[in-house]
Amino acid sequence: METVSPQPPVSAREIPPVRRANIRANYENIAWRWMRYSAFLLIPLAWIHVIIQDVLVGVHAIDIDYVAMRWATLGWRVYDILLLAFAFAHGMNGLRQVLDDYFPSDRARRIFGWALFLIWFLVTLIGAVAIIGGVRSEA
Amino acid sequence: MATLKTSLTGYALYKGREGQWTFLLHRITGLGTLLFLGVHILDTSTVYFFPQLYDDAIGIYRSTLFGIGELALIFCLFYHGVNGLRIAFFDMFAPKAWRIPSERTSAIWTIVISLIIWLPAAFIMGRNLLIHNFGLFGG
Repeated sequence: METVSPQPPVSAREIPPVRRANIRANYENIAWRWMRYSAFLLIPLAWIHVIIQDVLVGVHAIDIDYVAMRWATLGWRVYDILLLAFAFAHGMNGLRQVLDDYFPSDRARRIFGWALFLIWFLVTLIGAVAIIGGVRSEA
Repeated sequence: MATLKTSLTGYALYKGREGQWTFLLHRITGLGTLLFLGVHILDTSTVYFFPQLYDDAIGIYRSTLFGIGELALIFCLFYHGVNGLRIAFFDMFAPKAWRIPSERTSAIWTIVISLIIWLPAAFIMGRNLLIHNFGLFGG
């Protein structure tokens, strides 16, 4: 007599390793996506930046006239604006994610979340004013 | 705070091998880069806000201590980028390969690739440091 087992034996091999789920976009979801988008942008942006400035030019050849010369080209200013916008936001959100791991309470997360947002906003604002305002010749 | 202590002692005790070391290195390199980035945005901003201070700020970066830190910084940037690409690759193109053996192999490759990118850059920067700070190679 044939018996039919109610459930086929499940071995670990048969469990699909990838499960897909549709998740409604919320703040953390969007923040996670932007971490990845900015990461892809930052690999060329930040690597080319350090290869030019730290390796090829070198800190001993950099002074305020060098910055003025570089920013005389609009393209480099746009480049630096992009770097400022993506790199610091990527880093500060990364720091927030790291802190989330160590401080589980909602209150602590709210406090450092806002603190990091304010620091990010202020530093980005200062950097943006400097890039747009450019090098001021000494009066 | 208790969570923080548990996490830090856990990092020292947990024998997660390559996967865990990679996770830690990704954090450390990310946070290290962020620390420098925050300082770097502010020092560059002096060209607009306090132009007479910019060359003093660069003077600090020309010191031997910062020169060594700069070598570490570019390693952080290269490693964080290569490892980020590794993570994104598994996520997007080979999610079924997210397994311990491939994690271990790819973690080693990440270090090797980062070192291959870093070594020529470190050679040039180290040479510059020896020329300008120690008067070697006819500096």
